Amino acid sequence: MTETQAAQRAAAFEARIAAGEKIEAGDWMPEDYRRQLIRMIGQHAHSEYVGMLPEGAWIDAAPTLRRKLILVAKVQDEAGHGQYLYHAAETLGATRAEMLDALLEGRAKYSSVFNYPTLTWADVGMIGWLVDGAAIKNQLMLAQCSYGPYSRAMVRICAEETFHHLQGREMILTYASGTPHQRAMAQDALDRWWWPALMMLGPHDANSPNSPQLKAWRIKTKSNDEVRQEFLDEHAPELLAAGLSIPDDDLRYDEETGHWRHGPIDWAEFWRVVKGAGPCNAERLAARRAAHDDGRWVREALAAHAARASERTSE
Amino acid sequence: MTADGQLPRWEVFKQDSSTKAHAAVGSVHAADAEHALLMARSVFARRPSAVSMWLAPQWAVHQYTREQLAEGFAAPSEQLAVPARYLVFLKTSDRRSMAAYEHRGEVVASSTTAALRAAVPDEPPLGVWLVEAAAVIATDTADAEPWFAPATEKRYKQQSEYAVSVKRHPAAREES
Repeated sequence: MTETQAAQRAAAFEARIAAGEKIEAGDWMPEDYRRQLIRMIGQHAHSEYVGMLPEGAWIDAAPTLRRKLILVAKVQDEAGHGQYLYHAAETLGATRAEMLDALLEGRAKYSSVFNYPTLTWADVGMIGWLVDGAAIKNQLMLAQCSYGPYSRAMVRICAEETFHHLQGREMILTYASGTPHQRAMAQDALDRWWWPALMMLGPHDANSPNSPQLKAWRIKTKSNDEVRQEFLDEHAPELLAAGLSIPDDDLRYDEETGHWRHGPIDWAEFWRVVKGAGPCNAERLAARRAAHDDGRWVREALAAHAARASERTSE
Repeated sequence: MTADGQLPRWEVFKQDSSTKAHAAVGSVHAADAEHALLMARSVFARRPSAVSMWLAPQWAVHQYTREQLAEGFAAPSEQLAVPARYLVFLKTSDRRSMAAYEHRGEVVASSTTAALRAAVPDEPPLGVWLVEAAAVIATDTADAEPWFAPATEKRYKQQSEYAVSVKRHPAAREES
């Protein structure tokens, strides 16, 4: 291909994006568009997988049968969301085996927020309200993504994730209007999850080097700070109305802009957790590896059964 | 296992109701047909709106994007001794959606290239998938009730179950 032809291809691609077309598997795309998508979708898929662990730990201790059914369904959904996303990355040429290896060997990133411990039952509700609440804001944005398979996975995920968000909100609102002990539990969970939830939406725009290109390609349609603002504007007033206090002395409502403002985020902590030194990084990876190893005999048995069945058919 | 150390990949086509067409929703990896159907149910039918699923192994699904269709049909494919049935799935819109590539009929042809020529309507679609019908496995109609009904009864998975409004607590901060 000559240089002129290459430039024409790139221009035609940009024009398709500008016209709001969805790029599909098999279409020509810049190598960096493909690479960025595989990176993002892989991290997103891993986050769904690791995200099963903090809450999964509480399934046995759920206080009522109803809460247990809800939690089991939610954790099962996260496994499904991981599957939708691994599929989307596969359409770009990645394989699930490579992606899973990268996760298990500690080479792949996943959301920082899942490296915090779940210390009480109220954490399950607070994760639903705050962590899933933040995740949905991001996912609604990604549902507009220019890459068809990723966009469709996101639309499917958002429909299910709304249940995760609302069951958590309902649980915390119940405890916030309950006994002093229940109120204290909800407050303690908020104190520990507030900042990790704000951080999980990623660095400020000024420190987010990939963002301008991702926006130009309509992989992302909003910046980290824009998504964080949406999260804050929805959640701050509801948490405060429920009589809970948000652990940020600088939090205020800005009459002029109609937006809530938060105090400075501890980015040193964010990077520490992203780079592997969070409270539970080692524990999460060890649990994922153990689950993978424990399931090996099942995968081998399935493959052996299928091989024998096909031998019998060919005989 | 395939050469890359994974179980084979199967494309999944879900039908939301008897009046709607099957549409591509994603894929699962599975050792054989029975395993693939069970995986597809766990991954894609945890919620209501599934009445039937079709699955096809990856090798039996031939995908063509709008760009590829515009560039002309691919090099002639192998001629089959006996004509084969192909299921035709079309993508016709870029609007926000959970699924694309809807089932629009079938063609009988003696090569994939001939099937593609027969399948593409006058108004070119945004994409075409041809699926070799002989390789397709489907959920059994007799099993539809026990397979898909439980999802409709699990109402606690529906967001409508949690329509709670925030009531101001006496301890709430003034400005909120």
